[in-house]
Amino acid sequence: MIAFVAFSLKRAWQGFWRNSLMSLAATASMVLMLTLLSGMVILFLGLNATLDYVKGEVQVVAYLNDSATAQDVAQLTSQLQAMPQVSTVKYVSKDQALKNFQVSEPGVADLVDSLPSNPLPASFEISLRDPSDYIDVATFLRDQPAVDSVQDIAKTVSQMTAVINVVSTVGIVVLLIVGLTVLFIIVNTIRLAVVARAEEIEIMRLVGASDAFIRWPFVFEGAFVGLLGAMITIGLLMLVQAPVASLLSSFFNVLPVQATAMVGQNVALMVLGTGVGIGVVGSYVSVRSYLKR
Amino acid sequence: MAKSHPTDPTADGTPVIALRGVTKTYANGKSALRDVNLSVPEGDFVFLVGPSGAGKSTLIRLLIREELATRGKVMLEGRDLARLKRRDVPKIRRRIGIVFQDFKLLPNKSVRDNVAFALEVTGTPRASIKPAVERVLRVVGLAGQADQRPSELSGGEQQRTAIARALVHDPHLFIADEPTGNLDPLISWEIIQLLLRINEMGVTVLMATHNADVVTALRKRVVGLEDGRVVRDETGAAYHRED
Repeated sequence: MIAFVAFSLKRAWQGFWRNSLMSLAATASMVLMLTLLSGMVILFLGLNATLDYVKGEVQVVAYLNDSATAQDVAQLTSQLQAMPQVSTVKYVSKDQALKNFQVSEPGVADLVDSLPSNPLPASFEISLRDPSDYIDVATFLRDQPAVDSVQDIAKTVSQMTAVINVVSTVGIVVLLIVGLTVLFIIVNTIRLAVVARAEEIEIMRLVGASDAFIRWPFVFEGAFVGLLGAMITIGLLMLVQAPVASLLSSFFNVLPVQATAMVGQNVALMVLGTGVGIGVVGSYVSVRSYLKR
Repeated sequence: MAKSHPTDPTADGTPVIALRGVTKTYANGKSALRDVNLSVPEGDFVFLVGPSGAGKSTLIRLLIREELATRGKVMLEGRDLARLKRRDVPKIRRRIGIVFQDFKLLPNKSVRDNVAFALEVTGTPRASIKPAVERVLRVVGLAGQADQRPSELSGGEQQRTAIARALVHDPHLFIADEPTGNLDPLISWEIIQLLLRINEMGVTVLMATHNADVVTALRKRVVGLEDGRVVRDETGAAYHRED
């Protein structure tokens, strides 16, 4: 068994480099596919997490004009509390909003001190008993002169759901096409490797090598292409992780940051599994169809 | 002085090779073998002669189970090759050593590695490969050239490398398909001497050849094929029919 694995690994390694140009081309297409795959998955996970976050926090946020007086605030508070749809009402003053911002964005806290005035509006954060009552409360708030704007969560949710659906449909189709292409490339690469070793295979058969000894080195070679492709992809992902993460968080704004580390690990495992999986399946198909005698 | 060879397989234990009514017809309708009966007892040395296209190579391909007979039975050491399970085919092949006219050596491997290859690819533990290789290289007289590559060797040395590779599994049957076809007469004799030594070690030898001098000089058993049929089977015979 050890002799078999050592032999297969050695031959897979030799085979990879014997036809290095083709092997590297297969690896490159593997990297392309895996990068695409992980990009899709990260985007999908980010969108879903954001959607969950938004759904879970269904509350109406109403931003007030800077001209709103304390009297306006008190009046609105009592009016809102009187509404049957509303469970809690929380008033966030301009100062509080600024403090919250400084806490949530410590990196730019210093900048805030240099601002001539506080740019953040005061707001009401209103939790609803039932998310579907959103429209009633939002309509009421929009009619108030002290209210500047109402954050339209329902619209955001439906837009996001639509985006997620489109992204996942397009993503799956694109991934299928790219995945099949990569599979085809692997099948061909390994086919060439088999042809290049036709003489050796003939000798192996004559001296009584079992099918496993003839076939598995090629499967290992395919797995090796997948493994190398996965490792390069993971390396690339780690390189672009920081800029992409900041891009994503500025894009989604509310992306739950604590999930990133776990997502990273899962994506790495997925990339590894997919790469090696396609490598093994492709080479197995190739070897099996060629050596079927 | 040639006398007819008995084809009765029960004469002396189980024959190493036994063909009963073997016919091989290819998909294109061409019959390569027609109703061939042949029995080779253990320790025999048989020359297989006949013009090109007579069916010698087909017979060899049937013996190593590269192909199956269309009709009839091909038995190796009493085992019906047609009923052999796919995974048992390699095991049977390890009991057969085979060499060809074109040596079939791997050009990028040394003599030692070419021989070791046969053991490596059959899962032999690393520790037992080296002594086995050294042993067969001594048998064929190539211990001194073990590190050379086939391209650095003469034709005779290349064929001896192939013989060493075929011997390394301790085969019971040694098949040589035109082993001297690419060699000059002197070197051919060296190869024949080697095959005779292998035969003396108790290995059954089947050699397909066109080399009339060798066949006639050795007076061994001669099986003649013509147009897919066994036309003669004589012991102590010459290359050409003497009657």
